[in-house]
Amino acid sequence: MHGRVKVRTTEEERERKKKEQALKVRAYRAAMGRIQKKREAGELDSEMLTLTVQILQRNPDVSTLWNIRRECVLDKLAKLKAEAAEKEAETPKEEENTEGAAEKNDSQPEDKSQAVFTTELDLTEQCLMVNPKSYNAWHHRCWTLEQNPRADWQRELLLCNKYLKFDERNFHTWDYRRYVTEKAAVPAAQELDFCTEKIKVNFSNYSSWHHRSLLLPELYPNERRDRPMSEEKLQQELDMVLTAAFTDPNDSSAWFYQRWLLGSGAELDRVPKVAAFRLGAKGAVLALDKPNPELNKLPIELVSGDEKWQLQNWQSVDSGKTAWKLQQAFDCPKTKSLTLKLADQEVNLSPIPNSDGFYYFVPPHAVASCSKELLAELQTQLQSCLDLLEYEPDSKWTLLTSALLMRAIDVSANHDQSLTHLTKLEKVDALREGYYKDLAARWVLESELAKWPQAADFPTKFELAEEKSLASLPLGQYLIIADELKVSPKLREELGERLPKSFGDLEL
Amino acid sequence: MDFTTFVKPTNGGGDAEASNKSLQFWKHVEYIENHGKQEDDYEYCMTEFLRMSGIYWGTTALDIMGQLDRLERKFIIDFVKRCQCPTTGGFAPCEGHDPHLLYTLSAVQILCTYDALDEIDCEAVVRFVVGLQQPDGSFFGDKWGEVDTRFSFCAVATLTLLQRLEQSIDVEKAVKFVLSCCNQTDGGFGSKPGAESHAGLIYCCVGFFSLTNRLHLVDVDKLGWWLCERQLPSGGLNGRPEKLPDVCYSWWVLASLTIMGRLHWISSEKLQQFILSCQDLETGGFSDRTGNMPDIFHTLFGIGGLSLLGHSGLKPINPTLCMPQYIIDRLDIKPQILARS
Repeated sequence: MHGRVKVRTTEEERERKKKEQALKVRAYRAAMGRIQKKREAGELDSEMLTLTVQILQRNPDVSTLWNIRRECVLDKLAKLKAEAAEKEAETPKEEENTEGAAEKNDSQPEDKSQAVFTTELDLTEQCLMVNPKSYNAWHHRCWTLEQNPRADWQRELLLCNKYLKFDERNFHTWDYRRYVTEKAAVPAAQELDFCTEKIKVNFSNYSSWHHRSLLLPELYPNERRDRPMSEEKLQQELDMVLTAAFTDPNDSSAWFYQRWLLGSGAELDRVPKVAAFRLGAKGAVLALDKPNPELNKLPIELVSGDEKWQLQNWQSVDSGKTAWKLQQAFDCPKTKSLTLKLADQEVNLSPIPNSDGFYYFVPPHAVASCSKELLAELQTQLQSCLDLLEYEPDSKWTLLTSALLMRAIDVSANHDQSLTHLTKLEKVDALREGYYKDLAARWVLESELAKWPQAADFPTKFELAEEKSLASLPLGQYLIIADELKVSPKLREELGERLPKSFGDLEL
Repeated sequence: MDFTTFVKPTNGGGDAEASNKSLQFWKHVEYIENHGKQEDDYEYCMTEFLRMSGIYWGTTALDIMGQLDRLERKFIIDFVKRCQCPTTGGFAPCEGHDPHLLYTLSAVQILCTYDALDEIDCEAVVRFVVGLQQPDGSFFGDKWGEVDTRFSFCAVATLTLLQRLEQSIDVEKAVKFVLSCCNQTDGGFGSKPGAESHAGLIYCCVGFFSLTNRLHLVDVDKLGWWLCERQLPSGGLNGRPEKLPDVCYSWWVLASLTIMGRLHWISSEKLQQFILSCQDLETGGFSDRTGNMPDIFHTLFGIGGLSLLGHSGLKPINPTLCMPQYIIDRLDIKPQILARS
């Protein structure tokens, strides 16, 4: 039950309502009793349809009644089919060939079956008027159309338009629209136009932005797959979404879309990559850039010239399943070129300076490609955000988006400034203080890891130069190749068990 | 405040000083206990199509409050048994209605709470669930063909509680389907491929990955951000951007964030205030929002949310299965939960 305000009523009013409800309960019970009796007796007739309508119009959530109607429909269709077959057997051949004769007769079985479908569609529409979010009514509509080989999908498209005018955020209608457009083979470009119209009417329409996000990657694919869509289209979208966001900077819909546009595109189906690796006399450690609990199912081997070593039986050392260790004795080959192969990936290892063993390391966060035109667009956007912040220094979404834009333009040059924005966000958007702290920690770690290869004792020692007040240590798996982590006692205490494991800690 | 030391007031009434800032423990107990005692009550009658879930909401809330013995165990178990369909093995919401995955999960949850799985034909339940899986890995809710990620959750939750997730359904395919419902924009999930992200369905999908031990497939940072953005100035959480806060969405977001190890991304204190403001001080029970009519559904999610936030006097609740943790421990089930990074 949602959105029913509790109202104070008089004793009299309460009594009247109680009586009214008692009558309704009695009517419901009587109808349900009758329906169940008829069902047991297999009477799937027109009385059954009338009885179920009475209840469904008030309460479309009684799914069993929809099931019964479907049984009635199937029963009726089977009978009509039998009737048609019978008629065909009776009809002399010549008449069958007479053009138009069949259409004139409105009691043809085919017309009768269309009438059956129309009754069901009309009922779902009546029910959706009462409750536009009834899962049952929407499903029954789909089911009915699926039974009808002559379903009118264009009509359904108009129905979607109508319902989206009533409520442009009803996700049932949007789901139904996607189902219908597929059936009606509506071109994606036409759907995108519809979406643009919807957004122009009201920028605050997350559902519409979502629909758009499905169409654009399909219509304007990004060949490098490091952006959600082609750079040219991306530029136009960024322009459009910023206009929307500035229309009402407190509305979140457009800002969410903006952050997606600034992101790196499809990451979900990407396989985890080797992030760091170290080989010593007693064993090896391996870090992945994203989790893979099934590392042991992958073939992993070291290759040096013609020699090969299988690396099997890895144990995970973090709950995130990104850092792994291998206990296996090695006589490190006295060679300069050693390659690690993990499924399809191949990385060249480097000897550890002033020590035995080999390592590999690549810092996280690969910057996505950025053409001059796109860069110019991002800079314009950043300037607009900074201008807005002059007037509204506490505008949450502008603070966050400008920090993201800075990082998209030049992550290292804007590092400090983007962190300043997060610090400010911790105050102006205090509900999410914990989120901003973790995001800041991630950005700091990304920056530190990018600089690490230039440090004096790389990769045996990791020192967190920016002590700041980090709340967490994300990307900790990258540190597994270090012998020693130098972090403040405060952070060490804060993290406790969560402190990332390092090569030195592990009993290899 | 520690409610374990409370004695139930004899007049059943609350403290005159009672403010909406503290949990009206006994009022809620009474509200749930009385729910359904008047069988001719209009609301009760009109919601018979989801009775089985209603009983799950009530028994779970009472158990979290340590008051399960207020309901008659035998009466409830007999009811559940009568609802198992002899042909399909699935459970109907009540007698005279058809079996469905939604009520099958509720029935199994109730029986687990009462440690009474041996009272029913569990193999028939497994057959029902297995029979609803489709070639693409998705699940129908019943034989009439509606597909929804809610049903994927119901299927794996039911099988997990029956200790039959292994060697029954095709888990790999089921995983693949749920993953195909993930949205690139926000890392969230909808009811089917392409459907907009929605907190209720995110709970189902995150819960699904928790039960199938595949939380690594969730983009925790992206989704976690979208979820923590559900918290509004009132402290309550909504289910989608620019929507109103609601006690049930508060549970779904809160449970998802807990499973993903990101509970600290919202303000627990403000959320607790919001949930407490949705109590009905007269009748007991929780409503969706402050000042609305209470119902049994929001009462469970109000109590469950407070338990997850560590409110005193309530038993711990498992975020994935929305059941008391001691029952999950008794069954030796360990839904995956990510540690805070």
